[in-house]
Amino acid sequence: MTDTAVPSPGHAPSAATLARRRRRYAADRRLRAYGIIAITFALGLLATLVASLLVSGYPAFTQTFVRVDFPISEDLVDPADPAEGNFRKIMQEGVSTLIPGEHSPRELRAMAGILTNNTQFLLRDAVVADPSVIGGTLTMKVPVSDPFDQLNKGLVDRNTPEDRRRLNDTEIGWFDALADEGRVSRSFNWGLFTHADSRFPEMAGLKGAIVGSFYALLVCFLISFPVGIAAAVYLEEFAPKNRATDIIEVNINNLAAVPSIVFGLLGLAVFIQIFGLPRSAPLVGGMVLSLMTLPTIIIVTRNALKAVPPSIREAGYGVGASQHQVTMHHVLPLAMPGIMTGTIIGLAQALGETAPLLLVGMNAFITSPPGGLLDASTALPTQIFIWADSPERGFVSRTSAAIIVLLGFLIVMNAIAIFLRQRLERTW
Amino acid sequence: MGMLADPMEKVKSLGDARAASGSNKVSTRDVSVFYGEKQALFDVSVDIPANQVTAFIGPSGCGKSTFLRCINRMNDTIPVARMTGAITLDDIDIYDPRIDVVELRARVGMVFQKPNPFPKSIFENVAYGPKIHGMTRNKSELEALVASSLKRAGLWNEVKDRLHEPGTGLSGGQQQRLCIARAIATRPEVVLMDEPCSALDPIATAIVEELIDELRSNYTIIIVTHSMQQAARVSQKTAFFHLGKLIEHGRTEDIFSNPREKQTEDYITGKIG
Repeated sequence: MTDTAVPSPGHAPSAATLARRRRRYAADRRLRAYGIIAITFALGLLATLVASLLVSGYPAFTQTFVRVDFPISEDLVDPADPAEGNFRKIMQEGVSTLIPGEHSPRELRAMAGILTNNTQFLLRDAVVADPSVIGGTLTMKVPVSDPFDQLNKGLVDRNTPEDRRRLNDTEIGWFDALADEGRVSRSFNWGLFTHADSRFPEMAGLKGAIVGSFYALLVCFLISFPVGIAAAVYLEEFAPKNRATDIIEVNINNLAAVPSIVFGLLGLAVFIQIFGLPRSAPLVGGMVLSLMTLPTIIIVTRNALKAVPPSIREAGYGVGASQHQVTMHHVLPLAMPGIMTGTIIGLAQALGETAPLLLVGMNAFITSPPGGLLDASTALPTQIFIWADSPERGFVSRTSAAIIVLLGFLIVMNAIAIFLRQRLERTW
Repeated sequence: MGMLADPMEKVKSLGDARAASGSNKVSTRDVSVFYGEKQALFDVSVDIPANQVTAFIGPSGCGKSTFLRCINRMNDTIPVARMTGAITLDDIDIYDPRIDVVELRARVGMVFQKPNPFPKSIFENVAYGPKIHGMTRNKSELEALVASSLKRAGLWNEVKDRLHEPGTGLSGGQQQRLCIARAIATRPEVVLMDEPCSALDPIATAIVEELIDELRSNYTIIIVTHSMQQAARVSQKTAFFHLGKLIEHGRTEDIFSNPREKQTEDYITGKIG
């Protein structure tokens, strides 16, 4: 597009025509500029969000460990019953070897604080798994507690006055000594995916939340997919078009717009109070989410059914197929790619839904992943909610890390939906 | 569907239709069709002889397709459509409540305006009708039926090596012949064709017309067309519709060379339509 007036064939443009043309071009350019500004603004916000998440969440994907040699004497652990040993004492003995010299009990307690509070249980699990170490020395990389982890990651400013720091100079000195000795290492934090929630950030992971979300989505899918398709097929293929079906249709569309917290209240009042289902269970969470996903699935299924051309139905009826056969053999299979795409997007929405899960108690503090649909559990968004509420520094980065994990799942689900659509979409 | 105000009138129509049948495959008496409040067809009575090609001609919107779709009750699938009058197939009232519409459509096959093969393999397209009607007992019988249907539709030589490729991958003319093969695979007695060549090029049209002529020996064929030349080429009987009314019907030669009605003459000479 240029500003120079190109003469129209036949006659020379008048000054008024030229002015009008210039104004038209300018208006076109302005409109385009507004669009570009809007998109740049939106992309900028998105980039800011992602960048801030990555910057604050990145440290949670690594964890600082310290290598400790624990003497496992038979006095403290009975080889016949390793689970019942005095692992607290073993832990203290291991810690006392870390820093050379004599230490007061008070100092020893402070030194034990370098290691995670759960060290004795980690030791117990290691010895139970391999009882042959009893009588020898067990060398273990133990996660350091959160303040030291933060220190190692450079998130604590050493220049802060001592009285305003979590760690005093002595503690920092110990840690630096260990680091000089080569005992401190930092590696990928698998615990983020293999541990459930914990009060101690260094031990807290998302396994419980991921498993809980998986169960809840499974329940949600198993309820909303068949019910949604059956309802949509009935409304689209069988139901007479009258006032009753109009009302149903309007209400389904309204249902899709109901705030999610209302569904949570419904779940609390009906599923938990009346049916007596257990609080915090993924079963209840999934049922509540299915209430939200159901209208989405009904709407996308109806659209997918509508998109199947009438000529296919006519062809079916023409060879004498019944309505059921036309629907099941031809229309539904052809609509399936659209239905699958919509369902995945509906489930992705359900995965990110927080409010209804809070109301059915899926924001409890639960330290083991659920073993089944009725066990108390959290879900990914509620876990983010819990961690965002926790005061420890380590949970700040873990909150961002959990958001990154959740976004990762959402991106994967949406990518699958897009892939299915591209792959299976049909043109008529 | 098919409700008349006076039940006796229906019986009378039916009696007339039966009396008229004789060598006629399909007879209709006083067939009127309403879409909601709007009447699309007015008291059409016509006899369609067996093993001949009957063409319905007339300008767009004259009701010829609507009438065709009454003969296999395809209008049942349109909720607002309502029919009065009587249609018999071999003396049997096809709008009798005891008639199973699925079995009727197996006996009265249909080919549509736009080729509409199922998005499945060529074999599956032809085998679908026989399968749902339980017409074959085993795989080899089914394969034989598919092969014979494709042969009758003149498509066998072109597709025998790629029966398991999608039917939608064929050319337009081949797709339409596939649809004809699909329609005759259920061993119908009557084949309805709703402007079967309107989406085809002249060469494909010629092949399909030739096919229609061959099929005549085994089937009663009713074809809707807006091409008068086509009606003249393929049909033995012609019925001319205008504004929902049957204006004239009779032998094709007579209609084209010596029409009784002024409107027919105007249409075939190109003055209306």
